[in-house]
Amino acid sequence: MKGDAKFTNEVLRLAGLEVRTCIQCGTCSAACPTAHLMDNSIRRLVKFSLEGRKEEALASSSVWLCTSCLLCTVRCPRGIRPKVLVGALRDIFEREGRKDKDQAYEDLFMRQIMDLGRISEALLSAEYLLADPASAVQTMEMGLELLPKGKITVQKDRIKGTDEVKSIFAELGKG
Amino acid sequence: MRLAYYPGCVSRSTGKEMDRSTRAVCVALGIELEELPDWSCCGATHVPNELVSTGLAARNIIQTELPIMTPCSICYSNLRNAVQRMEVPEVRSKVDAVLTKSHERARIRHVLDVILEVLQKDDDRLVVPLKDLKTAPYYGCLLTRPKGGIDSPEFPTIMEGLVKTLKAEPVDFGLKAFCCAGPIFMPQEEAAADIIYSILKDAKKAGAEVLVTVCPLCHLMLDAKQKSLERRHGEQIGIPVLYVTQLVGIALGLGPEELGLNMNSVSPMPVVEKVYERVAK
Repeated sequence: MKGDAKFTNEVLRLAGLEVRTCIQCGTCSAACPTAHLMDNSIRRLVKFSLEGRKEEALASSSVWLCTSCLLCTVRCPRGIRPKVLVGALRDIFEREGRKDKDQAYEDLFMRQIMDLGRISEALLSAEYLLADPASAVQTMEMGLELLPKGKITVQKDRIKGTDEVKSIFAELGKG
Repeated sequence: MRLAYYPGCVSRSTGKEMDRSTRAVCVALGIELEELPDWSCCGATHVPNELVSTGLAARNIIQTELPIMTPCSICYSNLRNAVQRMEVPEVRSKVDAVLTKSHERARIRHVLDVILEVLQKDDDRLVVPLKDLKTAPYYGCLLTRPKGGIDSPEFPTIMEGLVKTLKAEPVDFGLKAFCCAGPIFMPQEEAAADIIYSILKDAKKAGAEVLVTVCPLCHLMLDAKQKSLERRHGEQIGIPVLYVTQLVGIALGLGPEELGLNMNSVSPMPVVEKVYERVAK
């Protein structure tokens, strides 16, 4: 099986060349708070990336189970930042136009930053509801909890610097 | 002390009591805050491209010459990470190219760090000693990560010190720096709910009367979802979860209104009343 070298290079560009020094020790997976939920461990995502096994990497549920806790990054004996590697896989997934509900949430989040400059959580939850109707129960439950506390506010005010924010995404996010 | 204040997006909704208590405590401690002009979202944990995420954080950093303080661990971690990343010349030149100006020697601070600096051990301003209140500090992840920050990224202890300064009793529990799974709770609700249930049970077993957090997402998970967990598991948990600024504010004698104590889901009022009763004795 011949790996996809273009994919490997793209991951390395986004996550750092030091990823190549991975010794497959599995410290990242051992540190991971959501490892028990994953199909492929973080260690395997690194291996897939280095071997150019693009489809296996991008189809892993693990890509969307990372909580960004950074414990893998704190502990990696090679100074690799596995959380950034997971981010690279998400980024590639999104740029290729692939879709799923986890990607939908992230996409809405980033769109809102581009549109308004800030996040309105109520608006975000409402928009996500359309992408993932199964989230209705938890969204309603949370809404009923927060509404009487005065914590549900829909802000649609824009910051002045939205053009600058848009160019951050456009220029720095270029493939 | 004068600082630029970066409230973060949740200060306007689910974290209103975080914002309110931060401002109140800073007034009480003589810390002057100047809200960061035209601040924007730091990207939280939902901008996967690190260069973009660095750019978003950097856009905030260049809005001021003052040190920047935030009460949110996610904003704090992202801003710190951006400062670290921009030490790499290639990252710096790319980010600077899209921004209107460049920053020099930015200093990023968490409100906890600022409080620890200005609050003395037997500070006269601590008019309500939190006598023997069994207080469990919950650190979560991003207060101390990436490493190189204000405390150990594995075994943090700074909040225990603060709890003692307030005359409360720190309660240690195994999961105090275990991730709350907040960043994945929208698409992966059940998995996240299991994790916060374990954290709450662990703190309760250790004897905690109250949990203290330094992050609005940890707070949302542990506080606002607590009743839903109780229904799901058919048991009472009932641990109030306070922002560190609310805890400090109580000890400074600030009122429930100023600290937004009525905005917490699990009411901290019974605990506050207990504290006042102990003080009166």
